[in-house]
Amino acid sequence: MADARDLERRIAALTERIAGTHAGRALDRRRFLLAGGGTIGAAFLAACGSRGPKSAQRILNYAERKNETVERALFRHTSMDVAGKHARDAGDAFPSYFIAPSVPVWDAASGPWTLEVSGMVAAPMRFSLADLQRMPSVTQRINHYCVEGWQAIASWTGVRLRDVAALVRPAPGARYVDFQSFDDDYHESWDLESAMHPQTLVAYGMDGAFLGAAHGGPARIHSPIKLGYKNTKYLTKIVFLPARNGGYWSDQGYEWYGGT
Amino acid sequence: MTTPLVAADAAELPGPRIERNRHAPIVRVTHWVAVIAVLVMAGSGLRIFNAYPAFHRKGQTFCCYPFEGRAVPDWLTFGGWLGGARNWHFAMMWVLVVNGLVYLGYVYLRGEWRDLVPRRGDIRDVTQMVRFYLFIRRDHPVQGKYNALQKGAYFAMPWIGVLIVLSGIAIWKPVELAPLTALFGGYVWARYWHFMGMVALLGLAAGHVFMVFAVDPYVLPSMITGRYDERFAPERRNGRPFYHLLPRWAQSSSPDPTPPPSVSPPNPQ
Repeated sequence: MADARDLERRIAALTERIAGTHAGRALDRRRFLLAGGGTIGAAFLAACGSRGPKSAQRILNYAERKNETVERALFRHTSMDVAGKHARDAGDAFPSYFIAPSVPVWDAASGPWTLEVSGMVAAPMRFSLADLQRMPSVTQRINHYCVEGWQAIASWTGVRLRDVAALVRPAPGARYVDFQSFDDDYHESWDLESAMHPQTLVAYGMDGAFLGAAHGGPARIHSPIKLGYKNTKYLTKIVFLPARNGGYWSDQGYEWYGGT
Repeated sequence: MTTPLVAADAAELPGPRIERNRHAPIVRVTHWVAVIAVLVMAGSGLRIFNAYPAFHRKGQTFCCYPFEGRAVPDWLTFGGWLGGARNWHFAMMWVLVVNGLVYLGYVYLRGEWRDLVPRRGDIRDVTQMVRFYLFIRRDHPVQGKYNALQKGAYFAMPWIGVLIVLSGIAIWKPVELAPLTALFGGYVWARYWHFMGMVALLGLAAGHVFMVFAVDPYVLPSMITGRYDERFAPERRNGRPFYHLLPRWAQSSSPDPTPPPSVSPPNPQ
């Protein structure tokens, strides 16, 4: 009898212990969920405003290369940008950026402005502003797409880069073009296809006037098929290259291709 | 006199069972991948947006955004700076798209879209759910795996996703894919729809998360392990936001931890 009662007591104790473990487990799960939720929440909070994990940089670079492949496959010489008929010109509201602390202006004391076209070409040439003006000119009213997300309409006047290329005759191995400026180390290199797009201009006029210093005068590269930062202002040198040569903005982490 | 715990509708419920696979593994995985992808896309998108927190074309005005020129707070953004955010955005977009296609493909092939597609009568069901949540109707309507409000949200979200992706492509390639951009009404409007799509998607997601925690926290494991205990279904608890979070049998003072019968005991109140 005593044994039976003892057994009963032990069973009761065991049951209690099991129930206790259950309660403990439930608590543990709740604590686990809280801790897990807290960790995830903290991770998101830490991620906010941050650049994300450093280790992701390799994946991001990989994605950028793959995206470039897609973008280059989408590229067509025949796809043209057209500014909306009813859309207003940006006019004075056209923003202007420069990497220098003040607006870079061509220093006339160092001689007249010229544009050197060289690199892997059969006939390197040097153009004065007058030389460019004598060439067949194009005036196009198009959109300017800024990497920041804004869009501005202006009419650009200049010479098609493909017409310039026809004069200097790039070698077959020249797959890239570097656009350099008198504004310090400010330059951007492009793929040849985008450079030869009919809307890619060596622009010296904007909205019916000569290109002002704020927008890259005396001449700049301008094309709607690249984001604004790819369009080198204060142009002095066009170099045909066998390989890409980065760029002022793309070296800072903006995509190198930057196509629209 | 005791009021019957189980309403007429709930009485029609089949016996409660424990589902082991309420959501298929593919659905569970794509759900959480989508959570991460959408959060990264929204955060990096807002960082990009902050570079130009407006919609108007330069030299013009924009009709339909009241906060033109006002940046969103930094803590809502991801990527650190414009270029970094763009890199994240253009990498994560593939995850979002592939993940979305896997989910939609699965839902289509397995016929699970039948649980989600709106039907005639859903309007009435929505009214019933709203009436129930507003305490006008007493008993939780029984409307299948998802109630009409859930169906509406879960059906709308993929479509908003499609809108977001297409408008995103339209502003990524406004020249090469000009016809697509034109379809959205041009670059300015494509940006607007892209932004508003994000707002709508996050709004629905916020509502979804709120309802999960306020009405049916028991479904949370079902989206992780697949396990769902139907005894805890809101239909059986008469669960409204923050009401009857515990199952009725657990609310009773009875220490008896045995699982309830298929039809719950009378309400002690």
